[in-house]
Amino acid sequence: MNRGELDPGFATNLPHTLGMEQSMALKDRILAKIFTAFPSLVRRAAEKIPPLKIGGIPWAPFTKGLKGSRVAIVTTAGVHLKSQKPFNMKDPNGDATFRVIPKDTKKEDFIITHDYYDHRDADIDINIVFPIDRLRELADEGFIGAVAENHYGFMGHIDGPHLKTLLNDTAPDAAKRLKEDGVDCVLLTPG
Amino acid sequence: MGLIQREIEKAGIPTAGISIVRRFTEETKAPRAVFLKWPMGHPLGEPGRGKQQITVLKKALETLETIKEPGTIIDLPYRWRRYEDMS
Repeated sequence: MNRGELDPGFATNLPHTLGMEQSMALKDRILAKIFTAFPSLVRRAAEKIPPLKIGGIPWAPFTKGLKGSRVAIVTTAGVHLKSQKPFNMKDPNGDATFRVIPKDTKKEDFIITHDYYDHRDADIDINIVFPIDRLRELADEGFIGAVAENHYGFMGHIDGPHLKTLLNDTAPDAAKRLKEDGVDCVLLTPG
Repeated sequence: MGLIQREIEKAGIPTAGISIVRRFTEETKAPRAVFLKWPMGHPLGEPGRGKQQITVLKKALETLETIKEPGTIIDLPYRWRRYEDMS
């Protein structure tokens, strides 16, 4: 089979010789590997997801300038601390909760819980999805004012009823905390 | 990611996103973003390549100062070199 003919939907037809749950996890791992090996398929798979209907674009003017700003990172790459509860990978609709990541977290204390993308490279260097060391360097060189005390980790695969939880509860809660932290602007990174 | 970005912006904090699936960023109507046609799991590039990561990070943060039109996505010119089949 040519690479171009590879059907991203084929893994859904895997025989269920394993338990349903294991089979689903296996399917997701296989998909993650395929999507990493054949990046064009991600776009083809993305095209099959029905479009979201959203009106208007929120806008907060940026007046402070980067040099004077306290910057936080909010990631949907499934990043959290090993000491924190992992994101729920058993729910096909994902997990709308978030984890607070203190700025001085040690490299060895990070872990990624996210079965929907291949994070082997990010496991080697967290900065490719959560650029905390790079942000610190930008503060050191004066490109930004400061690194925020706390950063926020979500798991990006959120669907069904959890979308409502995200929009009504957890995302506004994270936004409120960012305000309380005195954050001036936020960088968002995907998985 | 765009949905969370919108909620933060609604709370009054300016935001900038790094997108690797342009369609998602367009549809979620994220306020500001840079786009890279790079594989999932690599929004800032490759492990251990600090200079590459800093470049993307700076470009993303600079949109806070440069983007004046809500919903603007800036296509960054960096090509992914590791996979020959990257389209």
